[in-house]
Amino acid sequence: MGAAGKLMSVQRDWRERDVRVVLVALVIAVATVATIALFASQLQRTLVTSASSFLAADRQLEAENGRPVPGEWLEEARARGLETGQMIEFSTMVFGNDRFQLVSAKAVSNEYPLRGQIEFQQQPAAPRVMRDEGPGPGEVWLNPRLLRLLDVSVGDSLEIGNRSLTITGLLVREPDGGFRLSALAPRLMMHADDVDSTGVLQEGSRVEHVYLFAGDSAALDGYYDWLKPRLEPSHEWEGVRDGETFSQSLQRAEQFLLLGGSLAVLLSAVAVAVASRQYAISQRDTVALLKTLGSPGGAIAGMYLRRLGLWGMAGILGGLALALPLYWVLANLLSEALARPVDIRVDPGALVPALLTALVSLFAFAYPPIRRLRSVPAMRVLRSQPGESGREALPDLLIAVSAMFGLVWLYARALPMVLAVFGGLLLLLGVLALIGWVLVSVLRRIRGGGQSWRLALVGLYRHRRASLSQLAVFSLTLMLAATLVLVRTSLLDDWQAQLPEDAPNHFLINIPTQTVDEIEAFWSERGYPMENFYPMVRGRLTELNGEAVKEAVSKDQRVSALNRELNMTWMESLPEDNRIIEGEWFSPGDTQGVSVEAELADKLGLKPGDRLTFTVGSDKVTETVTSIRTVQWDSMKPNFYMAFPPGGGLEGMPATWITSFYLPDNAKSILNEFSRQYPTVSVLEIDHIIARIQEIVGQVTQAIEAILVLVLAAALVVMAAVVSTTLRDRQREGALLRTLGARQALLVRSTMLEFALLGLIAGLVGTMAAEGAVWALQYGMFEGAFRWHWQVAVPIPLISAAVLAFLGRWQLLPVLRVSPMLMLRRLE
Amino acid sequence: MTDKTATPEQMDGPVLKVTDLTQQVNLEADTLTILQGVSLEINRGESVAIVGRSGSGKTTLLGLLAGLDTPSHGEVELEGRVISRLSEDERAALRARRIGFVFQSFQLLPALTALENVMLPLELAGSERADGKARELLERVGLGDRLRHTPRQLSGGEQQRVAIARAFASEPAILFADEPTGNLDNRTGRSISDLLMDLNHEQGTTLVMVTHDEQLAGRCQRRFSIEAGIVTEPGAEAHTEVVN
Ligand SMILES: Nc1ncnc2c1ncn2[C@@H]1O[C@H](COP(=O)(O)OP(=O)(O)OP(=O)(O)O)[C@@H](O)[C@H]1O
Ligand SMILES: [Mg+2]
Repeated sequence: MGAAGKLMSVQRDWRERDVRVVLVALVIAVATVATIALFASQLQRTLVTSASSFLAADRQLEAENGRPVPGEWLEEARARGLETGQMIEFSTMVFGNDRFQLVSAKAVSNEYPLRGQIEFQQQPAAPRVMRDEGPGPGEVWLNPRLLRLLDVSVGDSLEIGNRSLTITGLLVREPDGGFRLSALAPRLMMHADDVDSTGVLQEGSRVEHVYLFAGDSAALDGYYDWLKPRLEPSHEWEGVRDGETFSQSLQRAEQFLLLGGSLAVLLSAVAVAVASRQYAISQRDTVALLKTLGSPGGAIAGMYLRRLGLWGMAGILGGLALALPLYWVLANLLSEALARPVDIRVDPGALVPALLTALVSLFAFAYPPIRRLRSVPAMRVLRSQPGESGREALPDLLIAVSAMFGLVWLYARALPMVLAVFGGLLLLLGVLALIGWVLVSVLRRIRGGGQSWRLALVGLYRHRRASLSQLAVFSLTLMLAATLVLVRTSLLDDWQAQLPEDAPNHFLINIPTQTVDEIEAFWSERGYPMENFYPMVRGRLTELNGEAVKEAVSKDQRVSALNRELNMTWMESLPEDNRIIEGEWFSPGDTQGVSVEAELADKLGLKPGDRLTFTVGSDKVTETVTSIRTVQWDSMKPNFYMAFPPGGGLEGMPATWITSFYLPDNAKSILNEFSRQYPTVSVLEIDHIIARIQEIVGQVTQAIEAILVLVLAAALVVMAAVVSTTLRDRQREGALLRTLGARQALLVRSTMLEFALLGLIAGLVGTMAAEGAVWALQYGMFEGAFRWHWQVAVPIPLISAAVLAFLGRWQLLPVLRVSPMLMLRRLE
Repeated sequence: MTDKTATPEQMDGPVLKVTDLTQQVNLEADTLTILQGVSLEINRGESVAIVGRSGSGKTTLLGLLAGLDTPSHGEVELEGRVISRLSEDERAALRARRIGFVFQSFQLLPALTALENVMLPLELAGSERADGKARELLERVGLGDRLRHTPRQLSGGEQQRVAIARAFASEPAILFADEPTGNLDNRTGRSISDLLMDLNHEQGTTLVMVTHDEQLAGRCQRRFSIEAGIVTEPGAEAHTEVVN
């Protein structure tokens, strides 16, 4: 190693510009990927916690058959370190202050709620407070509506079956209440231990036992694996993911983070790749020199491997030194926005992709060209063209692309996404090859235009070798950045569309037919006109094509909708956000047929033409399925499983009406007046849920913006790094052009033009590839429709042109500042 | 004094007039004086050799004469204009129209082919037939078959010839050459010297060159010697006789 060892030292390395660029790229790569991965894991924990509060637990097990689950199931859960809790939901009559009332009761164990908090009031006028447990034994909490209906007050006693319980407060909000319209009846909460002594639960009464579980996700998954074979069809295991309304939004946010992380991995890989490859190529002369000095090829290769390893370590340490504080800042920002912050924790698993990205891209790009030089005679190296020929670079490119593919795969483990991104990449390479050809063949022939313009074109042509590889990296970088911007925009747009500021946040339910007009007038007078009233009939589906539905649908199909009453309606026109996927919507005047919600139709295997029989009270209705339609369950509007035409099968059935509307916070006092005037109409307040979702969406949006900024910053650094790889050549050229008599303005203008052209082409190609990738992604992941995004496709090429023009100007600075003679001496 | 190539719009008098030229560079600790109190005049159409030991300041002087650098003290007057009083752009315009320079280290752009390197000044001047002219010039320096080769693929002497072709491209009134035959064998060196001298005679180009080549120095009308930053003209009287 003799000569080699003396020629290399870390201090000397650091003086080499190419080495510094490699190190900076490594640091940025590790910092970006690690920060995003750490933050993503933090965000995920935050989201799970936020979302868990909607279940009052991390998971719920519902037993809809009315029987408790075997005690050993709960013991097993506790043995696995899970927290457990229990609740029993049933309907019953209660008696208080001379009045009877049908209520929906919820009896909870001491542990309830495992996640989230209960909103509680000591007295109707008292401030609302958050509590971590429900009522104790002997106590009962009522919702304000029930308090009014029974005309009782706190301190009074309430009879439930054989027991008398004391009213100790008002139940304002349960963490897990919310979307279910069945939970609309006046509500009461009591302790689970009191249920037996009331004696209201008899054989055959409608009761639901719900079990709550909380703990870390590995334990939960392990428990579910254990539990799964033991579950009966009437048991339903509910997690946040497959839960309700906004789980879709959460999934998308997670997907976005995954995508952002993957793009960061790619971007970092590119940064390191460009820098390390440039370094490797700049070492050709040194390698040749070492050979003439008598170093054997093996020793040279070994020496470079050691150096790359050393820099890898240095880059990783530097990157982590940046990433950890950055993560800490971001995580704190997120925590501040939260009511219940999650611990800030460095998840070592989240660091793995960062380290792998740095090391793999460092070695995969830098080592092959150096290794190849081992067998090439020294003189041939010295006399060869600068840069490399395509034939040499092709195997390297293959290694490199597979390395990148592997990295992204390792990070995301989502094939559609990886394929979409790499499909975009392929598109990009194709277009670039085309552009290369155009550069070579067309650019030379362009005539006319001012002198700067001509020099810029000549420059592009002259530097086609460097320009093309820079173009490839720029457009790749811009593609990744544009992909992220596009996905972010469509994600936020979708959320915005789903939950606009004035999304309905109150439901009025159980409106008697004769008061519909009156109620509409009540709200219109106060400035809150109602949009739509829908009739609602509750009934069960009992027969399918003349056969009892229990037999027609096989046992293992868990169709909980069959155990409950279905919401049915009649309407003339299809709601805006519904979509017919099979059959046809009713024509005007139709009185036959029924339209079925798509998921339910799927579960029951219904097709247009099937005959369904419903039992409503003591009546039976039979209708033929005429259409299947999708419903936006998270639209916060009344939605129905079954829709009949006006004057159709539901004609004459006992119907109540339902409506939803937006009521701002400051107008909520009208609700009291309304409830006094119409005590039988249920008001379902979901404003807190909407606010909560909006808050979560807001947090996620912030996080997404932060990650976008990070990725864009990384992209900028990549571009600067790439420009700096040819800095010396460019400066020498600038200085030489000056000695040949180029005016400064001409030099500046033509350089800026050349770079701007490069940036414009890269921007156009990049956004094009990004649109392609996003199009593929949207079908795979985000389920949006394809749109061409001018708001991205126009500014990104312009911005990239501006940024590159600026970078071109920036690298000319020293050339313009000192005399050409001195510049040339310096660059010698 | 007569000037055989003076055109009506060009003034009489020396094409280059240097008065009390001093060049210093600030090093970390102290100031290094490279040139000290240099004064000289060069007339239109003359051929001048500058000789001196390595590190004596020849390249520095040549750069200052050509307006590639500005002096610490003193003045360089080129065709009647004081270079240090011009703006950088005016100096650039002057270089583009009147001056050619052959660098000791050639200063060819490694990414460009020989042809493209020679085309550079022509393109800068907005020449319509840059390509054709550059080909002719390369032909003349004997590199007609190496047009598409990049500097790395050329030998030292070949690179030097490309650099000379580039300096000729703009048809300069004054050509500065820093050891133009330094890397050439005798025969090639001779043909390059011939080329330079022909140019001097045919087009009246003023030639200022640094050289170690005694033969080439001997073919020049005047010879300056530089030692430790001080310039002298040993055979000044003889020279006057030659001119007369
Ligand atoms: N910018 C500078 N900074 C420091 N030293 C300089 C600078 N420019 C020139 N020198 C020094 O000034 C001296 C003269 O340099 P110059 O290049 O003019 O020598 P030269 O006569 O051309 O030598 P050679 O025949 O070897 O080419 C040298 O010692 C050189 O190191
Ligand atoms: Mg010199």
